Amino acid sequence: MKTTKRMEKDVAVISLSGKLMGGPDAESVRQIVRETLEEGARKIVIDISGVSWVNSTGLGILIAGHVTAANAGARLKLTGVSARIRQIFMVTKLHTVFDTCESVEEALESFSS
Amino acid sequence: MAEAIGADEILVRIPSRLEILDVVDKVASAIAEHMEFPEEEANSIANSVIEAGTNAIQHGHFLDADLPVDFLFQIGADALRVRVSDQGPGFDVEAVLRSDPTSPDSLLASRGRGIFIMKSLMDEVSFEMLPRRGCTVVLTKRLKRGS
Repeated sequence: MKTTKRMEKDVAVISLSGKLMGGPDAESVRQIVRETLEEGARKIVIDISGVSWVNSTGLGILIAGHVTAANAGARLKLTGVSARIRQIFMVTKLHTVFDTCESVEEALESFSS
Repeated sequence: MAEAIGADEILVRIPSRLEILDVVDKVASAIAEHMEFPEEEANSIANSVIEAGTNAIQHGHFLDADLPVDFLFQIGADALRVRVSDQGPGFDVEAVLRSDPTSPDSLLASRGRGIFIMKSLMDEVSFEMLPRRGCTVVLTKRLKRGS
């Protein structure tokens, strides 16, 4: 899995691509979220439009990011959730946990409104 | 890596490395498409096969890449059955089935969703435990033609 980060004004946009499945993925996502919070960002978008599939371990990685951000007083939104990944969010009820937007642009707009 | 062993069966054997599950995912998706499952059900099959493989690699083989995980795709006229076999010690099925990862107390847990996801997405899920010889998860999805 690849991770990249950019700033859109005061919003950190983290993009994940590949497969989100545990192993080294867990540490790379944890590290980039932690660094983002340490740099002072309190609005974070994690864009998973480039993620082809997520397993239950990958779900745990996203939950850890959500909890870490919430504990730091930050707001985190997920964008680019595919139909396949949304299916897993629905059956596990994680759609009630994650704040999702269709696109990064929509998330940025919702942060500014 | 994918070997046709009969008219209706395809066997995929992989080492216990999570990243190779992507190969299995592609095979599962291709078979679901070949059988003309609707997209949502094809997603259910692929997601469930990935979960079974993840469990085998992580909990059955503890990431020991030397141990193979077998995925036997049995293509029937009205259903797809996938048998995912590891050589691990097995687990307490009843205890896992009693847990509900969607309960408020468990919703933010980092683990414990794999079997729940399989049971939610497939028509049938069963487990065959062979003491000291491994565990097989059997996933079944029926074709609902004309629905």
